[in-house]
Amino acid sequence: MLEIKNLKASINNKDILKGFSLKILPGEVHAIMGPNGSGKSTLANVLSGKEGYKISGDLIYQGNRLDEISIDERAQKGIFLAFQYPTEIPGVNTSNFLRTSLNKVRKAQGKKELDALSFLKIVKEKSKELGMDEKMLSRQLNVGFSGGEKKKNEILQMKILDPNLIILDETDSGLDIDALKTVAEGVNSSRDSKKSFLVITHYQRLLNFIKPDFVHILSDGKIIKSGTKELAIELEKTGYKGIN
Amino acid sequence: MLNFKINSDEIDKIGSFSKEEKNFRLKNLDYFNDIGFPNKKNEDWKFSDLKAIVSENFSKLDIQFSKSKKQKVDFIKDFEHNYIVIVNGELTISDFKYEEKSNIILKSFSNDNYSNKKESNPLINLNHALSNKGFFLEVKENYKFKKILVIYYLFTEDLDENILNSKNKIKIGKNSELHLLDYLVNDSKKNFFNNVHEDIILENSAVLKNIYLQNNKSSGYFHKYSRNKLFTGSNYSYFIFPAGLKFNKLDLEFDLEGERSECNLQSASFLDNNEHQEIKTRVNHFVPNCKSHQKVKNVLNAESKGVYQGKIFVKDVAQKTDAYQLSKAILLSERSEFDSKPELEIYADDVRCSHGSTSGNLDKDSIYYLMTRGLSQKESTKLLVNGFLNEIADSIKSNSIRNFIKNKLETQLLNEYKKH
Repeated sequence: MLEIKNLKASINNKDILKGFSLKILPGEVHAIMGPNGSGKSTLANVLSGKEGYKISGDLIYQGNRLDEISIDERAQKGIFLAFQYPTEIPGVNTSNFLRTSLNKVRKAQGKKELDALSFLKIVKEKSKELGMDEKMLSRQLNVGFSGGEKKKNEILQMKILDPNLIILDETDSGLDIDALKTVAEGVNSSRDSKKSFLVITHYQRLLNFIKPDFVHILSDGKIIKSGTKELAIELEKTGYKGIN
Repeated sequence: MLNFKINSDEIDKIGSFSKEEKNFRLKNLDYFNDIGFPNKKNEDWKFSDLKAIVSENFSKLDIQFSKSKKQKVDFIKDFEHNYIVIVNGELTISDFKYEEKSNIILKSFSNDNYSNKKESNPLINLNHALSNKGFFLEVKENYKFKKILVIYYLFTEDLDENILNSKNKIKIGKNSELHLLDYLVNDSKKNFFNNVHEDIILENSAVLKNIYLQNNKSSGYFHKYSRNKLFTGSNYSYFIFPAGLKFNKLDLEFDLEGERSECNLQSASFLDNNEHQEIKTRVNHFVPNCKSHQKVKNVLNAESKGVYQGKIFVKDVAQKTDAYQLSKAILLSERSEFDSKPELEIYADDVRCSHGSTSGNLDKDSIYYLMTRGLSQKESTKLLVNGFLNEIADSIKSNSIRNFIKNKLETQLLNEYKKH
């Protein structure tokens, strides 16, 4: 699904990722844990294609080099980034946006675009699963949404777009325990043998709900330790300083 | 440079007038000829050098214009409405089929105010000198229109370097209400200049909701001076949706003459290519307890230029004034320009007055977010621009009219995006 080899990324002449490597196979859930400033969000940004980074190394997604693919095409090819801080976009209706987005992705994948009615059916069903108020769909995109509502809206988009590689950037931040459970349940119910997840988190808490196959510790732009979910539990006890 | 001084013979060619009226026209013509088309040395025109614009685009300006053939009107089918049809400034047909006609007066405009002075805007003097068309509409007391009135302003194909001067006056009687759509449809292919003088009077507790919509881009150069008087408890809301023209200046003055009167102006424009648009407002709070609100939104592409000059004047006696002004502009191109000049002149001490002005590029983070959801850069831009401008149309209350306006605006924007 995704292979990252010796990835280096810098912004404004500041090196952030300093030789990051990772391989994710279809169906796997990988967790990246790391302290503040270790490069977690940069990794998410670089994978989504955000501009402004100077990059070297290999980023291979489904056999293609990612650096040749624009942000929107990455999304169309099935890469989805759930934002840590989803952007508030005034004047853009949430439901219209979701439909535009879905139809863009469907069209790129050679599928038929959905009419308003069939779209509404899907979006209502999925938002109900996430316990979202339908009224949210007629509001402006993320504007005035609570932290929980924003994160749920990200997971809703993930469910609607049905991507192959899902990057969750600190999806647990700002969530209370109930919202966290709902969001995690949303992710868990989407897991299958074809989808891969990269769960980026600061705390082990989220991994109690989304059980990863592998856990990697990121420190100063590199993976310093990899293991299974037990590594996360160990980390919770010792703290980042206790690792090596 | 062309000399646009206008010979006094032209007045005789327009018609025969009483001595008093002729003198009025001659005097105003003198005022205009003194200055000619205003240039940027004139403070009110410093962002819109009309002299240069006219010189560059016109080889002549014909005052005479033979009557056009009968003009076909594409009536709006989206909602029931009364109508008036104005062709090249001239009142032609009308139909008030949904109303009690005894409450309405409509006739061709005739001037009866010959007091003259040198106006700070020379185009007003020009209009006084040459105006020979227009209408007068009065809604008598205690009458609420049942359906909206659409005024179709048509401009014909055969206009060619003409200048049209017209005067319109609308008076809304005590406790009366009118909803109005000024709908400008332009078939002209060649350049022409349209100079309009408008007087609107809202008597006590009168309500006017007015939407100004230019249906299409055209080769018209538009200037409108509008003087609006609001008496006690009256309420005026004005929505402006220009299509983007080579030159378009709306010089709007609102006099809040009666307590508890309210005036609310909102506009949304998308300007492209070398279009030039200026909205200038002056709101005069002459008495206490009035409210005024202006919100002006502009999106500028390519080499377009947008201007907003907004002044709020509060007289010393006008306590408890609540005045608010906001200008927001998005520049899509480095070659586009937006100038904003907000001014507050306040002589009362117990007032709430504020203004704000922002201009900048589209938010990069918003574009990034939308692109991570599969939308191209262009589609993201389009969505954000629509969202930015739609806010204005969204505050129109009537569903059918709001949808009509939004469809029109969307079509206009789509045409823009196709070009780029």
